Amino acid sequence: MLLIALLLVPVATAVASFFARRRAAMEAANLVGFVAVFLIAIVLAARVLAAGTVSLANGFFYSDALSALVVLLTASVALVCATYSVGYLRDDQQSGELGDDMSGMEQMAQLRMYYTLTPLFVFSMLFMAVANNLGVMWAAMEVTTLASIFLVTFYGKVTSLEAAWKYAIIGGVGLSMALFGTLVAYYAGRGLTGSQAISGLNWSVLAQHAAQLDKTSMRLAFVLILMGYGTKAGLAPMHTWKPDAYSEAPVPTAAILSSALLNCALYCLIRFYILTSRCLGAQYPGRLLLLFGLLSMGVSVPFVLAQKNFRRLLAYSTIDHAGIMAIALGLGSAMGSLGLMLHMLFHTIAKPLLFLCAGNVHQHFRTDLFSKIKGGVMRAMPLTGVVFLLAMLAIVGMPPFSLFQSEFLIVRAAMVGGHTLTGVLFVLFATGVFAGVLLHVGNLVLGPSGDAPVAPRRPWRDGSLLALASALVVIAFWVPAPLLELVRQAARVVSGQ
Amino acid sequence: MLMTHVLDLQFGDRIVTLMAALVLVLQIAMVTQRWIVIHIRIFAAQSFFLAMIAATIAWFNHAPHLYVAAALTLVVKVVLVPILFERLVKRMEIHEEIEPIVNGPLSVVVAGGLTLVGYVVAESFYRADEPGLGHNALAVAISLFLIGFFTMINRRKALTQVLALLSLENGLFLAAISLTYGMPMIVELGIFFDVLVAAMVLGILVYRIRETFESVDVSRLRRLRG
Repeated sequence: MLLIALLLVPVATAVASFFARRRAAMEAANLVGFVAVFLIAIVLAARVLAAGTVSLANGFFYSDALSALVVLLTASVALVCATYSVGYLRDDQQSGELGDDMSGMEQMAQLRMYYTLTPLFVFSMLFMAVANNLGVMWAAMEVTTLASIFLVTFYGKVTSLEAAWKYAIIGGVGLSMALFGTLVAYYAGRGLTGSQAISGLNWSVLAQHAAQLDKTSMRLAFVLILMGYGTKAGLAPMHTWKPDAYSEAPVPTAAILSSALLNCALYCLIRFYILTSRCLGAQYPGRLLLLFGLLSMGVSVPFVLAQKNFRRLLAYSTIDHAGIMAIALGLGSAMGSLGLMLHMLFHTIAKPLLFLCAGNVHQHFRTDLFSKIKGGVMRAMPLTGVVFLLAMLAIVGMPPFSLFQSEFLIVRAAMVGGHTLTGVLFVLFATGVFAGVLLHVGNLVLGPSGDAPVAPRRPWRDGSLLALASALVVIAFWVPAPLLELVRQAARVVSGQ
Repeated sequence: MLMTHVLDLQFGDRIVTLMAALVLVLQIAMVTQRWIVIHIRIFAAQSFFLAMIAATIAWFNHAPHLYVAAALTLVVKVVLVPILFERLVKRMEIHEEIEPIVNGPLSVVVAGGLTLVGYVVAESFYRADEPGLGHNALAVAISLFLIGFFTMINRRKALTQVLALLSLENGLFLAAISLTYGMPMIVELGIFFDVLVAAMVLGILVYRIRETFESVDVSRLRRLRG
């Protein structure tokens, strides 16, 4: 019942927004819907903590601690972004960003599209996280792309069409590879009883019998899956769609793409990693993940250092963090898995916060370029400036912020596990990104101020900013016990220990 | 009794192989085709043969759920998607592909090479102790996948890229029916739904690119860098 409600609420929200006639009704539908989704996600997490797993409809829906954590994170990001987008889109409408020569009707149509597609986008992510069947999981992942393409083209500019085209085509090829991989994994399980029936693709069944899967097929399947879902996660060299999509999409959408969708893509990788490591041992999938992870971290360094556009800077930072999480998964140890799940949690708080700050700056200064803003964000918009600085320190892994803890844990896991080279490169690349982000964002916020006017108060946007920022600060010192337990259990699902 | 059954299977295998060969030939024809409407029709014909392969395997292997997959292929890929795209072509008034990056004869050679790769990869899946249909079909499937990928890189028109993506997906479908006699029903349904929606979404996107750029030459999409 709980899982059904989790999926029905966003769909109902989308339908309500689609038929709403006034902007206020759409905003209200979205807010109410996402508050409900958030509450359901908390209840689901509590159930999973109590019972271990929750499943429904003969195991068609299945949720263990890993799914519950992904669902909870997705729901939280969606709620914060829904609050933020109220203020953000009102500002866009007033300032004519939606299109200069647009009539009221056309503007409404565009807002309707946003408020309808966002719940559908969230729905597909939630569906993916609770689908037991690997084929259904794939289909839901494809729907995430389809639902978000027109969010990327929201502003209808030349550049946003280009970004959406890259996103659609690169994502499409990537997902077809993931489907091929899913297919081969299904073939690998053909010897199991009842594999012709629907349960043959159920993850919980395959995971139980992972040792009996056909080894050659699983080898091929994992490569295809890594390329496929790696494209969605934005691992290098399949990352090229990311900076474009993130810098062209409306900021709340970009925040969801960079945190919740990244988690979902990693979730798919994790599911297959578990199957593959149980079938072939942890070394084969681990090495591949370490390779792609280090490559992603390495690729992001020069682009962060030489970046001119702050939203693209955040995109490269996300590629860096996708790499970090791939490495944590590839280490395969219990410590690495714990680092992975903690990092996923912490990153999902810090990255949307950065995007929301970037959105405030973008809307105030009407540009994304460092060279045009020069500095003075702190003077023009003190709250955004302070939060931007805090979130930036957090994302590069400065203590006392929590990402330091998770990254430290991952490096330690690498060293203890004998992956010295990985550990050294990790620290090297992380330092590069650290320098780049610190330099650029530090200048942006603290640099000499131009003649930009002081920003007015913005209750919706500042409220969501403050909520997320306090979560960031609080979690640096104190993780609530049930949440920590959920993270631990999720890590246990990953490492199998 | 047993004898006739084996004969049956061999007969079925021959039919499947013949049609898989046709599918492959059509894929190579797509590589060189410059008229977009003909490209769309070749895609429809290819999908038609795929549906027939699915039906044949369903008949000889007593896998009734494959009939549904065959019917869905007919409806979605042979009828709906081609109609949708032909309308789009009419509305956009673009009929001819500009020069591909690799020229016609050379791209046929490349496609031939990729077919070879497909056979080599498929060989690792072949087991003499597991007689069944469609050993060749798998090789063709992998070739379709690779050639579709090549066509996507090689072409510059947005619509041709979408068609290449769909033919790549045809390769996946062929792999699915020849490897595992299809996926579970619910998964098939999900995939067909996705293909249909993806074709629609990409169609709209192509149309909007055309309106904005006055062209569907994707090599002009070069503003976002770094």
